[in-house]
Amino acid sequence: MKNVFDTFFFTEILQGLGVTMKHFFKKKVTYKYPYEDTPVFPRFRGIQYIKTDEEGVTKCVGCYLCQVVCPSECIHIVTDCGHKGQRLIRKYELDLSRCIYCGYCEEACPVDAIHMGRDYHTVDNTRDNYVVNMKTLTQNYKKEQKMAEAKGEQL
Amino acid sequence: MQMVNLKINGIEVEVPKDSTILQAAEKAGVHIPVLCHDARLNPFGACRVCLVEAVGNPRLMTACTTPAAPDMEILTNTEKLQKIRKTVMELLLINHPLECPVCDKGGECTLQDLTYETGLTNVRFDAEPNNTEVDHTNPFIERDIDRCVLCGRCVRICDEVVNIQAISFVNRGTETMIGTAFDQPWNCEFCGQCISVCPVGSLNNRVYLFKNRPWNLESVDSVCGLCSCGCYIKLDHEGNEVFRMNEAPEEGANHGYLCAKGRFGFEFINSMERETECRIRKNGDFETVDFEQALDTVSEKLGAIKSEYGSDAIGVLVSPRLTNEEAFLAQKFAREVIGTTNVYSLEPTTSLPEATYEDVENSDCVVTLNIDVTESNPILGLAVRKAARMNDAGLYVYYPSETALKRVATEMHTGTPDAVYAAMDELVAGKTKAAEALKGAENPVVVYSPYNTADLYYAQELKKAYPSLKLVAARSKNNSQGVLDMGAKNGFGPGLKETERGVNLRKGLENQSVKALICLGENVAVRTGWSEIERAYSHLELFMVTDPFMSETAKRGNVYIPVATYAEKNGSFTNLEGRVQEVQKAVDKGVCTDSDVIAALSAKLGKELTADVDEIREMIRKENPLYKDVDFNGGLVKYPYAIKGEFEKETVAAGEGSFYLYPAALRLHSGSYTRWSHDLAKVYGDAKLIINDKDAEAAGIESGNEVAVKAGDVIRVFAAEVDKNMTKGCVSLPEDYADTADLFTKGRVLKVSIEKSG
Repeated sequence: MKNVFDTFFFTEILQGLGVTMKHFFKKKVTYKYPYEDTPVFPRFRGIQYIKTDEEGVTKCVGCYLCQVVCPSECIHIVTDCGHKGQRLIRKYELDLSRCIYCGYCEEACPVDAIHMGRDYHTVDNTRDNYVVNMKTLTQNYKKEQKMAEAKGEQL
Repeated sequence: MQMVNLKINGIEVEVPKDSTILQAAEKAGVHIPVLCHDARLNPFGACRVCLVEAVGNPRLMTACTTPAAPDMEILTNTEKLQKIRKTVMELLLINHPLECPVCDKGGECTLQDLTYETGLTNVRFDAEPNNTEVDHTNPFIERDIDRCVLCGRCVRICDEVVNIQAISFVNRGTETMIGTAFDQPWNCEFCGQCISVCPVGSLNNRVYLFKNRPWNLESVDSVCGLCSCGCYIKLDHEGNEVFRMNEAPEEGANHGYLCAKGRFGFEFINSMERETECRIRKNGDFETVDFEQALDTVSEKLGAIKSEYGSDAIGVLVSPRLTNEEAFLAQKFAREVIGTTNVYSLEPTTSLPEATYEDVENSDCVVTLNIDVTESNPILGLAVRKAARMNDAGLYVYYPSETALKRVATEMHTGTPDAVYAAMDELVAGKTKAAEALKGAENPVVVYSPYNTADLYYAQELKKAYPSLKLVAARSKNNSQGVLDMGAKNGFGPGLKETERGVNLRKGLENQSVKALICLGENVAVRTGWSEIERAYSHLELFMVTDPFMSETAKRGNVYIPVATYAEKNGSFTNLEGRVQEVQKAVDKGVCTDSDVIAALSAKLGKELTADVDEIREMIRKENPLYKDVDFNGGLVKYPYAIKGEFEKETVAAGEGSFYLYPAALRLHSGSYTRWSHDLAKVYGDAKLIINDKDAEAAGIESGNEVAVKAGDVIRVFAAEVDKNMTKGCVSLPEDYADTADLFTKGRVLKVSIEKSG
C-alpha cells in the first residue's frame, strides 16, 4: 500500500529535494584553492620534513629503514664513509610523485628524523621537481616550524 | 667410535663421546641460542646465553662447553631458563649502547637477534655506556669498544686460527676490553677474521662501513678471484655495485676464512678507473671505437696475417684470470678457428695439485720449501698453521727470512738463499731432524712454489725419497691450474694431453715469426721472467689485449677490449688443490666477457663458437678426460702426476753484488688486480724493498727512503722498508710489479748492489 502511495506521489524525489533545499540555505564549504587554503586535520599526512639538531645538522643517520619500509619505493638513500670514519649521507631522495603518504617512513625512523608534514602543495609543472632531496626536506622542517609557531604549537 | 645416548627436550639422540650438549642439540634439531660460541673455535662458555637444565642437577650448565654424558636429560627452554636468559641479556645490554640505527651490524647482529628472540623490551638496570672514542685509525678494521660484549671470539680466532695473537683482553673486571699490547696500533695480517666473528658491531669492516645495509644487499655465491686458494665467498651487491666480499662461515674448503685481499680488495670491481670502451691504435694514439669496429679490425688483420704468413704466425695468450670455460674456448679458438697450436699460458705444467687443504690440516709433518705460504697463499697458510698447532704436527720451514710461521714452526731454517738451499740439500740427503720426521710421518706434506725450478728439484727429490709424501704446488693466480687443464698451453691439449707443440712464445716473439698476439687478460709486463719479452712486441702487426683495466701490457697493444672481472661472469675456477668451483655473475658493468670476445671473433672469422657456459661445459666433459666426471661445484680433479720433468738444483745466485735479492710474496698484492684497489693500497701501494735493520743502518737507509737496486745492467728504484725479521745480507722485493719483474728476469735469486738514491 505504502509502495503504491510513494509511486503516485513521488515522495522520494521530494525527500531528495528537501536535502537540496536544506543545504541551499547553509553556509558554503567550497574553498577556492589555490587562492584559498583548505583546513588541515590534525592527523593529516602531507609532504615530509626531516628534523635537524640545534646546529642545523640533519638528524638522519642513513640507516635505510625508511627506504626498506617504503611500500611505494620512493625513497633512495646513498651513504658513505668519510675520511675520519664519519657517516656521510651522500644522497637522500624522495620522489613525491610516487609517495602514497602512508607515513611508514615516519613510523620506521629510529632517530626521529623524518616526519610527515602538513604541507600538501605538491603540484608542479614537471615531474623532476617532485624528486626532493635532503636540503629541501630540512628546509621543509623550518617551514613546518614556522607554521607550528604561528599556531602556538610545537613540532 | 664410542657413542653416547641422551635426551634433549624429550628427543632421543645419539652422539659421539666428547660431543658437547650443543652439538647433541644440533643433531636433535633443537635450537639453543649462543653468542660467544663458534664451531670453528675451542669452546669458551663466556656469555652464558646457552645455559641449559639437566634433569636431576640443580645447577645450570653451558651447552657449548659441557660434554654430553650418557642418559642425560636436557631441557633447553623451560620457564626458569627463559627468565635466566632474559636476565643474562639484560646484563649484556647494560654496557651496550643501543645505537642500532647507526651501527653497521644492524640486521646481522647476534645480540640484536637474541634480544628479539628472548622478547626483551625493558632493561631493568641503568645503562652505563663507556663512551670510548671509536678507533678509526686502522685502514680495514673499525673498532668501537663500547659495543663490545667481551665474548672473546675475535681474540680466540686471532689466536687459534690465524695464530697472530694481535689482540687480547686487556685490563680486569669492569675495565676489561679488547685491545693490543701497550695500546699500539693494530699490526697484523689484516685478514679481518676478527670482524667476521664479532657478533656485535664492535669490530666493523672499514671498507664496507656505512656503505649499505645487509637487508638491501643481494648475495651471490662465488669464488674469490684474487689468488689460487679458491675461497668460497659471497658477493654482496646492490644493483650493479659490489659492496662486500663476504665469508660464508664454516662453508667451503676455506671454512669461511678469508684474507685481506679477499675481504677488502674487491673495490677494483667497482673502480671508476675501469675502461668501458674499446680502443684501436691509430698513428700511435689510441682511438675510441665500438665493439664491432674493434672486432672488425682484429678479424681483418688476422685474416691478412693468416694469408700472408700462415696461421702459425698468430698466437693466443691466455691468462689465469679466465674461467675454465673461457680458457677452453680460447684454445678451441686457436686450434680450430685460427688453425694454430700457438696457444700459450705463462703457467708451468711441471707440477700439478696433489694434496688438498684437508690433507694439509690433517698432516703430521709439514715442510714448506722456500715459500712464505702465509703471505703468498694465506688460506693454505691457515691450513699449515692448523696442522702445526692443533695436530702438533712437525712444521719445518725453509725460507731466507723469518716468516709468520715462526711461532708454530718446529724448525726454521733461515739464512741467505744459498744457506737455505744448503739446508734443503741436507733435507734431501736425509740427514736432518726434518728428514726423520718426514720418514716417520703417516701423512707428510710439502708445500713449495711451482715457479722456481730449483725448488721443483727439491720437491721432486723429496717425493722420490718419501713416496707417501703429498705435494702442494702453491700457485699464485686464481685459475693458474684451470687454464692448464683446459689445454691453454703450448703442447698440451685439454686434460693435459700432450699434443703437437707450436712455436715457442719467447722465441717466436724474438725472431719475429709471431706476427699477431691475442692476449686474453694477461699482463705480461708484470709477470716475473716474462716482462722482458714485452719489449719484443713492437714488431707485432696485431697485438690485441683484453683486460678490465688499461694495464701496462694493454697500453702497449694496438687493439684493446675492456672485459669483465670474475664478479661479472659465470664459469668455474680450479684452485691449487685441483678443486673446481663455480663462479657466478653478480653484477653487470656493461662490458663483455672474454668468452663473448672469442665467440664474436670466431663468428667474424667464419666459425660459430658458443659463449654459453653450459654448452662449453658439455664440450669440456666430452673433450677433457680429467673433467669428465668432475662436479663443477666443488669436485676434485684427479691428476696424472704431481711433478714431472728434469730440474737442475740452484748452485749460486746469479749476478754480482753484496746483497742477495729474492722474490717475496705480499699477501695484499699477489696480482695485478689488487693494485687497482685503493683500500689495499693504504697498506702496501707500491713494491717495497725489505731490508734488515743492521744493513739499513750501515747503508744509512731508513724506512721510506728511495733505494736503487742494481742487478747487472738493470737499475730500479724502490722505497725501502726496514724489517728486523729480514736476514742480514738479504733484501727482498714482491713480485707482480713491472719494475720487480724486470729484475727477476735475471734470475729468481740474485746478487745485487743497493744504494741510497736521491
